[in-house]
Amino acid sequence: MAVIEVAGVHKSYRRRRKPPERALDGLDLVVDDGGVHGFLGPNGSGKTTTIRILLGLVSADAGALRLLGKPVPQALPGVIGQVGALVETPLFYPNFGGRLNLRLLAETAGIPRSRVEECLELVGLRERGDDRFKGYSLGMKQRLGIAAALLKKPRLLILDEPSNGLDPAGIREVRELVQRLGRDGRTTVFLSSHLLAEIEQVCDHVSIMARGRCVATGPVRQVLASRSTGGLRVRVPDSVRARAVLVEAGFTVADDTHGDAILVHGVADPADITRALSRKRLYLTELSPIAADLESAFLELTQAQP
Amino acid sequence: MTDLATETVTPPAAAPDDPPRGSLLRAEIHRFRSRRFIQVVIALALVGYALIIALASATEFGKTTPEQLAAAERNVAEIVEEQNRFREQCLREPNRPADVPTDMFCGPPNTAENFPVEQFLDKAPFVLADNLPAGAIAVAAASAVLAFVLGATFVGAEWSSRSMIALLFWEPRRFKVMRVKLGVLTGAAVVLALIGQALWWGTALGMAHYLGRTGTLPKDFYADLLGQQGRSVLLVVFTALLGFGLSNLVRNTGAALGIGFVYFAIVENAVRAIRGSWQEWLLTDNAVALVLNGGNRIFLFDEGFVDEQGSYVESGREILLTNLHGGLVLGVATAVLVAVGVLLFQRRDLH
Repeated sequence: MAVIEVAGVHKSYRRRRKPPERALDGLDLVVDDGGVHGFLGPNGSGKTTTIRILLGLVSADAGALRLLGKPVPQALPGVIGQVGALVETPLFYPNFGGRLNLRLLAETAGIPRSRVEECLELVGLRERGDDRFKGYSLGMKQRLGIAAALLKKPRLLILDEPSNGLDPAGIREVRELVQRLGRDGRTTVFLSSHLLAEIEQVCDHVSIMARGRCVATGPVRQVLASRSTGGLRVRVPDSVRARAVLVEAGFTVADDTHGDAILVHGVADPADITRALSRKRLYLTELSPIAADLESAFLELTQAQP
Repeated sequence: MTDLATETVTPPAAAPDDPPRGSLLRAEIHRFRSRRFIQVVIALALVGYALIIALASATEFGKTTPEQLAAAERNVAEIVEEQNRFREQCLREPNRPADVPTDMFCGPPNTAENFPVEQFLDKAPFVLADNLPAGAIAVAAASAVLAFVLGATFVGAEWSSRSMIALLFWEPRRFKVMRVKLGVLTGAAVVLALIGQALWWGTALGMAHYLGRTGTLPKDFYADLLGQQGRSVLLVVFTALLGFGLSNLVRNTGAALGIGFVYFAIVENAVRAIRGSWQEWLLTDNAVALVLNGGNRIFLFDEGFVDEQGSYVESGREILLTNLHGGLVLGVATAVLVAVGVLLFQRRDLH
């Protein structure tokens, strides 16, 4: 079952004395139940607009959206109790303590106070729960935002840049929390982030946004594989001779900018390389496919012309 | 956050799709009660009230001894006699113009009624029949100003902190959110106005007992007073909602209070000076009309003209703004302001 379905959604923002700014341009997106789904894209690609539309804060110009199988925004009141969200910066009363801020939200949904304490404990803010929100560090504010999102024990947890402002230890803990929530079999985490490493480490699936459209989606490995060049990295002790041999054998060869290996492209069968080099008594120390990393895939996808 | 890494995340059970009935209302009441600014403003208002009462009790009011009263009455009699002596001199003036009526040129005959004896006492006695209704109006005015500030800050702070948007993650029905907030504010305004009036009533009884006299109360005194106080409660509700509506429109408490100040301090006075005939639609005049027993009698200046002698002559007419007129004007203004804010909130994209 899909927890998020977005079909043909358009959204433009009117601007004074300027043409409208197109934020979403026929966005199609499906997020299946379970696991952690990364939502990746450069600034202005439409990630936050998508989340805002899903949560009913912004209205779409056209298109259809479903959240947990229900059409939104029409049926949003019926499903919001199962959706936790942290969108950009946490939004709380600056003069209230963290605990009071959470209690007010919990009261809105009829959630018991014991759950507030659980969530404060979970994000390590129980001892500081009565301190005023405005006195919190950026990381503490972010953690309180995560606690608020978890209050409902959501089936779908939408996190927009949850690592913002966290120190390295905090970032690691959030990532571990997200992974564990994604593995619990009930919660689907929809994680919007500009941190490629975060998406690569934490997510099972990824959707990449560019210019208001989803330009790639699927399991992270599959997205990476689809961006793979099919090239091979070849390493031999005498790389100069080996390069000449491979060129003579008709291979397309390039230098590895990150090391002393040789990059060979357009190879039908890696065994052809082994054969060509061994005939000249050159023996391999490495023969490996050149795997695309998410950063390369991301840059390639988001910088491509429409 | 050290526990976070080691704690087992239990598979969550879903929160109820439909929260218990009244949960948003309870949360909003809790939110209203917990706002430090609201607590501080109310505390300051109470301190201010206590100071004013203490000051008035110490300097303005006091029980009068028979000797003091007799001395004051003698004082009044002397002044009446002196004034009438001046009048007699005036009447004997040979150059008195024949075309000007006597009472207009020399004034009417003076009596003791023209000079209230309280004005000739160092400390006037607190007279319940006069001072209780007058003080109730002052308390109503102060409560109305306070309610405007509370209404503005209640919703303005939510916009400033953007916690209004966070609330929509929990209750996406925007109209319901507004409806509940308006309900809470209305309830708070009623409580504020009732407490203010009750407090003043108690204070006035105490002051009459210790610093004046209860005396014989006019017929229908309590009926008139309760009517006036009931309309005062309505005024406080209107101003609270006006503050809310304005703040909800501009999404900022400070801006709403600034607009309120500009309107009441500048716009209304400018209208009175430039377009006198519009005065009957001004909020302040209608607020007074709503509260005062019998309404508010105002003089509307028409366009002036220059007469044959070259003097500028102003003409006008007196009109009565009834309680109903005042209530309707304030009610419509409040409804329009609140409705526009709610409608925009319903339709706007929120970022």
